[in-house]
Amino acid sequence: MVALLFPAALAALLALAVPLLIHLARRSEARPTDFAALEWLREKPRPKSRLRFDDLLLLALRLLLITGLALWLARPVLTESADRTPVVTAVPGVDAGPPAAPKRNIWLAPGFPPGDEPQPSCLAQACPPLFSLIRQLDAELPPDVPLTLIVPERLAGLDAERPRLSRAVTWKIVPGAMPASAAPPLRLHFILPAGSDPGLRYLRAAASALQSPGTPTQTIIVHIAAGPLPAHLRAAVTEGATVLAAPGVTAAGVATPIWHDTDGQPLATMQRIGRGYLYRFTRRLDPAAMPILLDPDFPRQLAAMLAPPPPPGRAMARDVAPITGAPPWPVPARDLQPWLALAIAALFAAERWLATRRRRAVSP
Amino acid sequence: MSPDLIPPAVRNRLAGLRLTARRAVDLHGLGLHHSRSRGAGLEFAQYRAYERGDEPRAIDWKLYARSDRFFVRESERESPLALWLLIDASASMAQEDEANPGWSRLAAARGLAACMAELALRQGDRFGLVGLSTGGLRLLDAGGGARQRDRLALDLNALSAAGAFPALTQLTPLWDRIGAHDLVVMISDFFDAQAMDLAARLAGARREVLAIEVLTVSERDFAYPGGHRFRDPETGAELLGDGPALRAEFLARFGTARAARHARFDSIGIRHAALVLDEQLDVPLRALFGARAAGEYG
Repeated sequence: MVALLFPAALAALLALAVPLLIHLARRSEARPTDFAALEWLREKPRPKSRLRFDDLLLLALRLLLITGLALWLARPVLTESADRTPVVTAVPGVDAGPPAAPKRNIWLAPGFPPGDEPQPSCLAQACPPLFSLIRQLDAELPPDVPLTLIVPERLAGLDAERPRLSRAVTWKIVPGAMPASAAPPLRLHFILPAGSDPGLRYLRAAASALQSPGTPTQTIIVHIAAGPLPAHLRAAVTEGATVLAAPGVTAAGVATPIWHDTDGQPLATMQRIGRGYLYRFTRRLDPAAMPILLDPDFPRQLAAMLAPPPPPGRAMARDVAPITGAPPWPVPARDLQPWLALAIAALFAAERWLATRRRRAVSP
Repeated sequence: MSPDLIPPAVRNRLAGLRLTARRAVDLHGLGLHHSRSRGAGLEFAQYRAYERGDEPRAIDWKLYARSDRFFVRESERESPLALWLLIDASASMAQEDEANPGWSRLAAARGLAACMAELALRQGDRFGLVGLSTGGLRLLDAGGGARQRDRLALDLNALSAAGAFPALTQLTPLWDRIGAHDLVVMISDFFDAQAMDLAARLAGARREVLAIEVLTVSERDFAYPGGHRFRDPETGAELLGDGPALRAEFLARFGTARAARHARFDSIGIRHAALVLDEQLDVPLRALFGARAAGEYG
């Protein structure tokens, strides 16, 4: 449905009077026509129909042009142009049954592809965040379109909140389970500098505690020497490496505390440099200043800081059915101004062509 | 003639045309026109059988006495012609059609005059120009040669349509210059009675007169849509009228008047042709000087 965002601009339609006045067929009388054979003309009363217009085609074009301009000023938009058929969407891989004919069947996958396009199954591998997709779909559909969601019994890849939607949806649970997002086992590999710094002992111990066989998933470069971060390390961090540094190491930039002790005092900060991270202890690596060094949990906490474990994301589908209460999302109206501008340009070109072509009777 | 006066296509078609006069004179040197006189020094060409229309004095009476038949003695000698281009330069000649602005009656008359001057130049004939207007006569004495052509082009371009057709009393200089048997081509719309009178007087005084009437397309078709204020450019009289309503009666009356003009031309022996402004320039020339027309007088 077409709506106008600025209907007051329709007052510009008053300008329609201008071409009408221009084309009023009286100007040919105002301008005398030379006619040498006047002797053989005999005066006759003019017919009574006074209001006539010259060049009707050109007049129509000009009226259209001005109407188009006024409409353009009034900023027309196309609302409710979206499809209103009920939507059935399924997590790829579940048994969604036969496609429902009068409804729109789509996959609950990025881009919401139509249901007849095969999609990689979500029951075999990790899928994009499910709730995020559900919220996006809810926001994109017009408010009163019925929505049916077909999900397996066990869901994975969820986030912390149940989806709060603007509509009541049909939450249809079918047998099946999404696999847990298989977090790869964390294998940290520390590159420790040689030397006899006392703090290095604790880090060495933690490194050997975290050591596990297999190719390491993440390599951490440990740097102890005080002073600015050496150029080669900085370059490595910019390229994506992770550096764990002692408090004496300085680097330009802002660091945020990331690891706190039981008193809430910061133990380490994190600073992003380029694509990599610089972790830095805030205290000397000395049990007197940092008692946690002696804690048996120190290696695990260090690993959690360097590579945080994924948040829990699995739930039974019946427990996380979407709830309602979110305000409805406004359906974005389609702006018609660019198309109207194109039409106006075409009309203008046609008008100019018609007005300036060679053979014209009169010249308004 | 300057190239803009004669369109190239028309110049191309001028090749088949020849200026002809009904009666050529034998006074002024050598030219293309037949003169069947037997003066001294003429080179005998041939005898041929008498045909109707031959002058009796051209008949060889001695040969008639011997053979009892009429023979006409023909000579090679041919004489030149003086061509006078009389162009009406009254205000009515400035009229042009809305569909083709810039191509006025006078512009067409210029083109016609240039074409005929080109023909005359090719034949070695002399040509002169008279522009007829109350604003003053513009006279170019007859002469020949390429320089005369350039002078004619200058005078034609300087000609402008203003005023009315001059009265006969104003035209006395014409009689001094246009000799008997000269070819006079008058280019006008012939709406003025004076123009007709001048043509008649010239024809009556043994000048061979040809008339080319130049009409605008609107006078032929009268395709005026809607209301117009018609104005006579010479008298200034105005008439307000609706084109379609006036059309039928105008065409009838104008046609009648034209037919009357043509009848008068025919009665006093003036050959005439018409040019409507959407036609090619050589249409009236072809009618007057084309192969068929020339044959009548050859």
